[in-house]
Order: sequence, then C-alpha cells, then structure tokens
Amino acid sequence: MERSIPLSVEKKAKTYLNLGLLMAVVLFCFLYLNVNVGDIVTALPNLVGFLVDNFMPPNFTNLGVYMGAVMDTILFAIVGTYISAFLAFTFGILMSEAMMPNPWVRGLVRFFISFLRNIPVLIWASLLIFVFGIGNMVGLIALILATVGFLSRSYAESINEIAGSKLESLRASGAGWWQILFHGLIPEFIPSWMNWTLFSFEINIRASAILGTVGAGGLGILIQTNLNMRNFTEAAALIVILVAMVLLTEAAVSLLRKRLSIGGH
Amino acid sequence: MTTPLLSIKGLQKSYGGKKMVLKGMDAEIFHGEFIVVIGPSGAGKSTFIRCINRMVDPSEGELLFDGQDLAKLKGKKLRVARSKVGMIFQHYNLIGRTNVIKNVLHGRLGQIPFYKSALGLYTSEEKSMAFHLLTKLGLGEHIYKKASALSGGQMQRVGIARAMMQQPKLLLADEPIASLDPKSAQVVMDQIHAITKENNLTCIMNLHQVEVAKNYATRIIGIKDGKIVYDDVPAKLTNEMIDYIYEGKEEEMGQPATGVEPVKGEFSYGA
Repeated sequence: MERSIPLSVEKKAKTYLNLGLLMAVVLFCFLYLNVNVGDIVTALPNLVGFLVDNFMPPNFTNLGVYMGAVMDTILFAIVGTYISAFLAFTFGILMSEAMMPNPWVRGLVRFFISFLRNIPVLIWASLLIFVFGIGNMVGLIALILATVGFLSRSYAESINEIAGSKLESLRASGAGWWQILFHGLIPEFIPSWMNWTLFSFEINIRASAILGTVGAGGLGILIQTNLNMRNFTEAAALIVILVAMVLLTEAAVSLLRKRLSIGGH
Repeated sequence: MTTPLLSIKGLQKSYGGKKMVLKGMDAEIFHGEFIVVIGPSGAGKSTFIRCINRMVDPSEGELLFDGQDLAKLKGKKLRVARSKVGMIFQHYNLIGRTNVIKNVLHGRLGQIPFYKSALGLYTSEEKSMAFHLLTKLGLGEHIYKKASALSGGQMQRVGIARAMMQQPKLLLADEPIASLDPKSAQVVMDQIHAITKENNLTCIMNLHQVEVAKNYATRIIGIKDGKIVYDDVPAKLTNEMIDYIYEGKEEEMGQPATGVEPVKGEFSYGA
C-alpha cells in the first residue's frame, strides 16, 4: 500500500500562526509610530540626490588635521581596551562562582557590572561631560566603563568553564587560591582572554569614533562640527576615513588572531 | 592487626539535604592495599572517592587519616592534608598550555608557598624528581612539550607523575582509564600498579571494568545505590554478586575489560 511520507511532523497551522503573529507585531509598530512605508520609499531618491549634490566629491584638503583625529580615536580604543582588560579580569574573577565562593560579593559585583553594561557608551559620555567637561578624558572614561561592563561578564563565563574541571587537580594537590589562579586559571584563560579582548577592541574602534558626537574628542567631533557648519564635502571625507579605519583595524585584528592562532569565537 | 591508614565511619553525602548519594559507608583501608571500587554509574563511586580528599564535602561521618579527621579540616590544614593525598582524574585535568614538567611540579603546590611556585623556585631535588618520574613513565623526551600536545595516554601518565610528585601517603584514582583506548588503558593501569607497588603506596581507584578490577586489586569494594555491598578480596567476588551490584544496569559491566589481555613486561621502565 502506498502511503505518502510527510517531510516534517511539525504542525503547519502552528507555523502559520507564528508568522501571522510576527506580521501583526510589525504592523502594530508601524501604525503606533505613525510611520508611512510609502513616504520612506518616495523619499529615497531625494535622499540620494541630497547626498550626491552636497557630499560629493569628498574634500580631503585638511587630511593632516584628520589624521591627528584618527590617531586619537585609535589610541582611545587601544588604551581603553587595555585598561578594561585588566579591570575586567579582576571583576570577572570576583563574579565567577568557581573562584569566588562568597555569594554576597559575587552578587554585588554582578549587580555593579550589569549596571555598567546596561548604560550605553554614549549615555556614559553625555553624563561624564558634566563632570569633566568636553575633552578626550571623557571619551576614555566612558569607553572604559562600557568595556569593563561587557568584558567582565564574558570573562566570568570563560573562567567558570575552565574552573569547572581543570582546576580540580590543583585543588586536590593542596594548592592555595593564588596558586590555583596563577598556575591554573591564568594559563588556561589566555586564549579566551585574547579573543574577547580583541573582539571588544573592534567594538571600541567604532564606539570611540562615535563618542566625538557628544563632544568627547576623536574623529566623531570633527564629523559633528563639519555637519553643523554645513561643510558637507569635508564631513564626507571624514566618513570615508572612518570607514577605512574600521575596515583596516578589522583586517589587522584578524591578522593578529591568525598569528596568535586562537581562531574566532 | 595494624592501625588502618584511613578509616571511614558513617560517611554520608546528600545534596541540598534531599538526594542521598552516600547512605552511610564504613571501611578501613590499610597500608599497601590496592583497592578498586566498582559499581554502576550513579551508585556514588565518584562522590565516595572525592569525599576522601574533600573535593566534595561529606554531610556526615568521619574520615580518620594520618591522625586527624579529614571531614573536620578547613583552610590551611585542609590544604596540607590534601597535599598528602595524590589524585588521578578521568580527564587528566592537566593545564594544557603549560609544559609537561611544570604540570608535574604542580604536584608540589600544596607544599610550597605561593611566591616560590610563582617564581618557579622549585628545589633541584624537586626538579630532578619530576624529571625522573617522567623518564620512568616513558615521557623523558616530552618534558618541554605543552601538555595539550600529548596523546590521552601520555596525558594520563603526566597525571600519574603529578600525583606521585606529591609524595602522597594515599593515591586516589577516579576512572583513570575510562577515556583511553584499550592499549593506552593497559599501559596506564600497569604503570599505576607498578608505581604504587614499588613505593608501597596505598591506592583507592574507581573503575567500571570489573575484569580489570579483578586483575589488579588486592581488595574490591562494590558500591550499589550509595551503600557498600561488597568488601573483600577479588577471588571471593562471585558472578552473582557482580550481577547484584549491577542489577538494572547490566549493560555497564558488559565492557569486556579493555579488550586486550594483560601483557606484563611489555614496557620497560628505563632509568
């Protein structure tokens, strides 16, 4: 007897229901926000026209000045990531169940770190400007706060993974906390430490470019000022430089990963 | 009768006060014994062995070892006591990015202060002991290799060297051959057996291969559902008793030893 064999045992009705719900949510958003998709589509030619008319060709006459800002931006990202990597390692240990048996300390650090992490870097910068005034310092501190928030949690997860089994042998030999940290955890942690840190460096290059828009120095502040002064061709040049800088650092980081042979995530 | 090296009295372990894993165990372990603990997975073998060096904290009971109750120790005293008990693990638990000789020297960590180990200030006696252990175990050429670059069997031999580096009074081994191929398993079992015999060292080992247990043990302890149901010489371990120990989990004892007949004298202990 011939019997047709279904390719899937999942209910078709359920799939359609999920799809319908998803569309309903999107539709509701458009209606609630009073956004007309048609307007977006018809505005597109105008947008392209405006960009071509005003931004082309990019004006690179002040390249020397821009390169200084590029340098600032990259150095921000490097220094910010560097300092964060050490701070976050300390917090990561204090947050991990395997290395920090005291649940109160762990909980407190966890709360503090999640507080840091959930405030976007631009908000941090805007807040810090009131304390330190406009300048490079603000950008750096904002970057560090956000990066510590991100890295601490990632580190803590890697630390727990390592500590779960491998460090048992050192504990069994009677090693103390510092010995377990130094002879077991740190050597095993180095690959994930480099991986996460390089990953956050890539994020920080972009973040440090954008920080300037709130007055915290770097490439962003030049883009912002030129836009405000309607120097569109110069702003265009800066945006091209920004994109080139991001692409170059990404290439450099992936080269570095290969050299260190630690692979991706 | 001599006094036991380790006496276990009323050992109990429950997690969160609910699930009883060890339901009251008593055993006396004497100097020079090679004890193999058998039983199906989930019976409590691993918990039992880990309670002895307090990798797992027992809920009740006494562990009299070397004149003190291990179950009551804390902090520094616990670490000193642990340093007298060597341990070999199923997954070797080496520090993969650290080289072989340093991994072996980790066996000394419980006996030297942090500043010394951190600065690599091991004594020349310690270093030559590590080297001799490795040479003896056939790893003399690999001492500067990263531990992660070794094969499973080689890693476990580093694990043996690390445990011996502690100059322990008692050796614990938790399923030391469960992750190895039959041939490596054979080598590792023979080496553990030879090294304990040579040093007149007491050993407690968990195994799930009953046949291997019979070949090496001077005494077998059978654990079933958190209780000791057999504790005697291997010769008295009947098939009925084995069936009883593995009741309901028969498929686990089916693994015929390691598939290879023991061939003694196949490996030479150089140096």
